[in-house]
Amino acid sequence: MFDFIKNRKIFFGISLFVIIAGIILTIMNGLVMDIQFEGGTIMQIQTYDKEYTSEEIEALVIDAIGKKPSSVQRLSSMESKESSILMIKFRKSDALKKEENDALLSAIKERFSFDNINASYETVEPFIGRELLNRGLLATLISSLLIFIYVWWRFSAMSGVPAAATALIALLHDAFVMLAFYAIFRLPINDTFIAAILTILGYSINDTIVIYDRVRENRILIRKSHNAELMNRSINQSLSRSINTTVTTLITIVVVYIFASIYNITSLKEFALPLIVGMIAGVYSTIFIAGPLWVMWKNRAEKKISSASATRKA
Amino acid sequence: MKRNNGAYFLAVAVLILAFTFLLFNEVRIGNTIIPAGKDIRQGIDLKGGVYALLYPEKDDVTDSDLNAAKAVIESRLDNRNIFDKNVYVEPEKNRIVVEYPSKGGADQYDIDELGNIGSLTFREVDDKQRDSRGNYLPLDDKIILTGADVKSAKMAYYQGKYLVELEFEEEGSKIFSDATLRLKDQIIAIFMDKDLLSYPKVDEQITEGKCVITGSFTAKEASNLAGNIQAGALPFKMTAKQVNFISPTLGENAFDIAIKAGIISLLLIGLFMTIMYRLPGFLAFIAISALAIFQIDIISWAQIPLTLPGIAGIILSIGMGVDANVIIFERIKEEITSGKTVSTALELGFKRAFSAIIDSNITTLITGVVLYVMTSGPLKGFAVTLVLGILLSFFTAITVTRVLLKFTLSLGFGNKTWLYGAKRGA
Repeated sequence: MFDFIKNRKIFFGISLFVIIAGIILTIMNGLVMDIQFEGGTIMQIQTYDKEYTSEEIEALVIDAIGKKPSSVQRLSSMESKESSILMIKFRKSDALKKEENDALLSAIKERFSFDNINASYETVEPFIGRELLNRGLLATLISSLLIFIYVWWRFSAMSGVPAAATALIALLHDAFVMLAFYAIFRLPINDTFIAAILTILGYSINDTIVIYDRVRENRILIRKSHNAELMNRSINQSLSRSINTTVTTLITIVVVYIFASIYNITSLKEFALPLIVGMIAGVYSTIFIAGPLWVMWKNRAEKKISSASATRKA
Repeated sequence: MKRNNGAYFLAVAVLILAFTFLLFNEVRIGNTIIPAGKDIRQGIDLKGGVYALLYPEKDDVTDSDLNAAKAVIESRLDNRNIFDKNVYVEPEKNRIVVEYPSKGGADQYDIDELGNIGSLTFREVDDKQRDSRGNYLPLDDKIILTGADVKSAKMAYYQGKYLVELEFEEEGSKIFSDATLRLKDQIIAIFMDKDLLSYPKVDEQITEGKCVITGSFTAKEASNLAGNIQAGALPFKMTAKQVNFISPTLGENAFDIAIKAGIISLLLIGLFMTIMYRLPGFLAFIAISALAIFQIDIISWAQIPLTLPGIAGIILSIGMGVDANVIIFERIKEEITSGKTVSTALELGFKRAFSAIIDSNITTLITGVVLYVMTSGPLKGFAVTLVLGILLSFFTAITVTRVLLKFTLSLGFGNKTWLYGAKRGA
């Protein structure tokens, strides 16, 4: 039986390292906000012309509308070896107005001699973006609160508050790891990312509940054990449950991510990746973080009670 | 005992087969058609189309103003032959959301036109002057009344028919009275800008300024017409602050690929479960496939448009749905290992795992509901499929799996412990 409680410092350390790295990078570089939150324009065009460079397109854009794009990317497209996807982005205040949008599209049409241009574009004004971001943050807050209350109620056998609090800390840990991952790899944050965080909040609590459920049950079966032993035993017993439930869900998301990467479906890619990171963080936080934290909390609480009654006796 | 198991099994089997049948075939009941699962309605991020947010260029716009504007925008889209559209008001955000499928080209650039004020007119028509579709042309010198003369227009239901009750202001009533006298048995057409809304025939002179427009209206048509006349025109200009256009081909491919990903996920999970839990694992695979089929059918029937994140939600709920099975089967394995008989272990497995399953599903449901309330656009589809999937998984993971397991047990060969991946007393 592996002692999760004794070795807890190592596990806490790993998590803290990742999260602090994320925080430092965030302070240094700022988080990359997607146009959905910051405002801007994204234009995606499917082309069959292989002969173009990003620099050339950038020049074309400046020529057509006098604005410099914040990025020009060329993505490959799997369903036809000849085609590629051209992605042009404009940030914040450079968001395209309708006339600029039209002008750019016709310039591109001319350059690639399209009869019919296969383009997608999305323009978000900054104020809409800010509203989305705020809504996302609010949603995260509300979910966390509701989950806290629910766990508190259902796991009163584990002294509701420590159970709920440690579960919540494990969840926040997952959210921070996801953010850190995004900060480290400079990936843009948009409302899909927020949806992913919310999903992980709702999902990651599941493995924690699996273990706490076992603790709840063992408490009745094994009356006399103290906290660390109770938790250790419960975690060990639930190990295959926790891992297997995560594996099955991970399979689905990894498959989606692989397909999305091959075929370059950006929206799915952006959705699957944070979910994968979140789920791995989730199983880690459940096994290595939540349980030990609960033990520490309970031990300290019990020590306070016993020292209080000791002073009263004395 | 045996008879019960058989009966339940039959019921579940029939249910699964029925839903599978309905996946590929549509059903006609009286006048309604229940669409096949595979003909699921696709969101614009898959079909390609326009998504725009229209904001009023005026302060203090009331909810009923916005609703009136919505009716006008809908009929403008109707007049451009765009029928599969989704226009709705978000009053707390003070805006109207417009979504409609489009292949590109001319339509998507006209979003600003949708927000123009426009004008409502009642005109005489010339029978010989029609456009290419056979509609009457608005003639400039034949204007009788305008939207300003309208006091109210309401939809009504009378003797089995839908109609529009129209009332003019005092001034307008007089003009209307003269016009209906002069134009008896002729048509007075109603135009919004240059678009023809309706062309009722005058039956008799109307002196009181109140009349009804009858015709073979559906409830929606009558309501739209009334809304258009009532609004007169858009009471204020609306501009598009966000316009997204998604090209259909980019969307089309995405759909096929997402489906492929879903099927492969399903098979991989089936493989994993069968390896880990043997017989129950395989049965869980059947249950989880049923889950996917139920979900697709239900979403198709509810005519909820399926978006790309929606598909991700279905796939994710499959993964989560099977979690319940993992919890149950781990429990069963434990019970067998501790010496119980297979059938007792099954009972205990399902019973003891129940509390963990309820708790974990409810927490995911909580976030699913919050997601639904707080997101908009394609992401809402994700929340819907996720929540639906989890609710359905209560049924498939617990009931279906249990029925299948008990049935195989009752067949006699289900008793071998190796079928469950457990060794007694290990």
